[in-house]
Amino acid sequence: MTAADAADVAGTGSPAGTAVAPAPVAPRPRPSGQVRQGPTDLTLGFVDEGTVRAIAAAAGDPEWLLADRLEGLRAFAALPIETNPLYTSYVDLRNATLADTRPYTTPATVAPGAADETLLPEGAAAYAEISEDRVTALVVSPEARAAGVILETLDELAARDPGMSRQLLEGGCALPENDKLAQMTRALWSQGLLIRVPDGVRLERPIVLRWIVGAPGTALLTRTVISIGEDAEVSVVEEQVAASAPKATMAEAQAFFAGTTEVQIGAASSLSFAGLQDLSLRQVAFQHRSAVLGRAATVRWALAQLGSRVIRSRIDNKLEGDGSAVEQAEIVFGSADQLFDLTSYTRHLGRDTTGNLLSKGALADRSRAYFKGLATIDLSAHGTDSFLGEFAMLLSRQARSVAIPSLEIDQPDCRRVAHASAVGPVDETQMFYLESRGLHPDEARKFIVLGYLEPVVARVPLAGAQDRLRELLEAKWVAQSGSRSGTAEVA
Amino acid sequence: MATTPEIVSGEYKYGFHDDVSYLAQTKRGLTRQTVEEISGIKGEPKWMLDFRLRAYDHFLARPMPTWGGDLLQIDLDKIVYYRKPSEGEEKSWDDVPDKIKKTFERLGIPEAERKFLSGVGAQYDSEVVYHSVREELTKIGVVFMGTDQGLKEYPELFKKYFATVVPPEDNKFAALNSAVWSGGSFVYVPKGVEVPLPLQAYFRINAENTGQFERTLIIVDEGAKVHYIEGCTAPIYTTDALHAAVVEVIALPGSKVRYTTIQNWSNDVYNLVTKRAHAHAHSTVEWIDANTGSRLTMKYPSIYLRGEGATAEVISVAVAGKGQHQDTGAKAIHLAPNTRSRIISKSISKDGGRTTYRGQLKVAPGATGVVASVRCDALLLDEGSRSDTYPYIDIQEDDTTMTHEATVGKISQDQVFYLMSRGLTENEATNLVVQGFLEVFTKELPMEYAIEFNRLVKLEMEGSLG
Repeated sequence: MTAADAADVAGTGSPAGTAVAPAPVAPRPRPSGQVRQGPTDLTLGFVDEGTVRAIAAAAGDPEWLLADRLEGLRAFAALPIETNPLYTSYVDLRNATLADTRPYTTPATVAPGAADETLLPEGAAAYAEISEDRVTALVVSPEARAAGVILETLDELAARDPGMSRQLLEGGCALPENDKLAQMTRALWSQGLLIRVPDGVRLERPIVLRWIVGAPGTALLTRTVISIGEDAEVSVVEEQVAASAPKATMAEAQAFFAGTTEVQIGAASSLSFAGLQDLSLRQVAFQHRSAVLGRAATVRWALAQLGSRVIRSRIDNKLEGDGSAVEQAEIVFGSADQLFDLTSYTRHLGRDTTGNLLSKGALADRSRAYFKGLATIDLSAHGTDSFLGEFAMLLSRQARSVAIPSLEIDQPDCRRVAHASAVGPVDETQMFYLESRGLHPDEARKFIVLGYLEPVVARVPLAGAQDRLRELLEAKWVAQSGSRSGTAEVA
Repeated sequence: MATTPEIVSGEYKYGFHDDVSYLAQTKRGLTRQTVEEISGIKGEPKWMLDFRLRAYDHFLARPMPTWGGDLLQIDLDKIVYYRKPSEGEEKSWDDVPDKIKKTFERLGIPEAERKFLSGVGAQYDSEVVYHSVREELTKIGVVFMGTDQGLKEYPELFKKYFATVVPPEDNKFAALNSAVWSGGSFVYVPKGVEVPLPLQAYFRINAENTGQFERTLIIVDEGAKVHYIEGCTAPIYTTDALHAAVVEVIALPGSKVRYTTIQNWSNDVYNLVTKRAHAHAHSTVEWIDANTGSRLTMKYPSIYLRGEGATAEVISVAVAGKGQHQDTGAKAIHLAPNTRSRIISKSISKDGGRTTYRGQLKVAPGATGVVASVRCDALLLDEGSRSDTYPYIDIQEDDTTMTHEATVGKISQDQVFYLMSRGLTENEATNLVVQGFLEVFTKELPMEYAIEFNRLVKLEMEGSLG
């Protein structure tokens, strides 16, 4: 699809596009010889059958898995970058230059000593750390192990229980069928993790997953499967952080990370998932998170997006079970010319389901956030309570916020269906109050902005991870206010 | 200034009455020749013919929109793109469906107007003939006439503003309108003039399978003020027609324009309309827009706030019953500093009908100090009906203050119960709640329209319009 087509189906014209074209992104000088890239163009040099077969062979995939990968490849080839006509004019991959990236093709090797219990972070029930193509930690606490909790690589799962492996992965599991990039990951993943929590297990301490990635020119494609039985309770903290020091220069080749979180939650169970993404500005991230909820099941997402040059994320919540619920909070803190392209689909199918979704962005410099949210209430979803909120605070004149909080409703018998959105500058009254208490204006501004994002920080279920997130937000605040005064360009 | 009968006879003098072979109407379907024929019949200047042909080329090149409503049922080859006044097929009152007659009665439409509205009385299809310009308006220099006549009598003013707000390349149906437009209103209000009464125009599609492609151009000069009313509450009877209108409003500095529409096409019409206004410095533009008729309406009245301190307001109401899809909304595009906009949308879906709110709020770089709000409320009255909300909020200035709220719900049973405890029947109580829901719109209407509109909503609620 061309950019002109995209503008045509923007859905915001009358039978009409708007005569005012979407404002172009601030033009950046391009290295000579580089072909001009359209907003929906994404050139990848390795998405082909040869690579799929090489990955399958290296992993010793069974027949069904190779077939499943090839199915993903076919879907990738057939799909446009954005299949939803509501969103086609809000896609911009021009800052993703991934043509020369190469994927890891062999399953991660588990480093010797990875199971050493001393690697377990304080307060965690289990810990996995993947550094590029190596598993540097994979530890389950004795209590969790005794309760039957499993944390292992998908490679290990395939060897231990081929039947379960097939059950959890075949058919792309809960990955969206109409999403090109999710289908790419389905075709080409080489690493993966399984978290399995049996019926009746309530883990008080969180399971921590950590991805340390970003070697220039690499592509890491992974799947994480979380399978929770009935009447169980678990929390997960996932961190995606840059491998190299943040001194990286823009001249280095980009790297990309494509990761999934495929969640199935059994009846009366709950999952609290905190995600922190702090990749570097020469990394591109594609995230797909999907949850299928059984009766009275609950998922709580608390997601912080700080890093990446371009991040395109999609969350699919499928509220199948009666009384199931999703609580979702996502924050963005953007600087430089970062683009946060965040979509969330919530589908209400069961009776008396609840969706409570909140996105908040603080955008500095030339950063942009696209918040696209769609709540769908099917005819079967009597008694739905659905709220979708998309809020942004613009900290610079060049920043941009786009909110598209949408609803599609077939069932009138709902408890509540609403959405809200607001955009504003830093509140003058709050500034005045804090300054009157003796705070320097810069300090007051920082308090207000970080306070605005705090509700998500508070939902991270591990004290250490909470503090870390606060530190990262503070550091980013300092970096962006530094760049505003012209002292730093790359965070 | 010419009065109505002279307009018509005046155009006859331009020499198309003697060429009977294509006088009555163009052949069904659209070709380059159709476009040339329409322009020829009207005796238009060359620039207009060129404009039409350019639009025709774009219409052919532009694909059908793939979003919005189902446009696949429109058979563009079956449509008559131009039909001259006075020569439409005669219809008798007996041919008018009982449903429509009954509605006239219930709405309290006067006898004479009933025939007129159902196309039995005055037989004028694609030309505007019903413009009453009061003597006093003429005296104060207000121009209010058919758009074709405007082109002839005010060629320079016309050319200066025509298609500057909605270019033919804007979208497929704006291109179609630009190629074959006929009729509509041309309004010019001179500097500082306040028009004391609303200007009203009836639009009609009378003959079966006749498209209506009216083109309205309203220019309100500095400091002037006008209220324009289009449409009426009575159902306008037709079958399988396409209505693709373009309305352009230019509000020059310090002026105030209100444009009120009550759209009640019969339920076979595809109503695909581009309505857009340019609001210059310190002007105010208001679209008050209700859609109850048609099979499918796609209409998003827009205001481009181009001058500092301009204000925009859109109140949009949609009611969709059986077989109907109202894909409506509003756009406010802030291009200048200290501009304000407010959008209020209310929709009701029932008996399997579908309403879609599709809106855009945009604050462009440079438009500092913008204050904007959007409020969308939808009522979903039964299972099988559907309500969608698709707002686009694109903010590119840091000191924008924007709020957006939307709710979807059913009729509050508490309210109905309360009213019933006061002696109302369930039907009456439900009606009252719905009227209350729409009051934000109704209260903006002139009284006689408000009364008719409330009756119309009551009829819709009873399902007596099927």
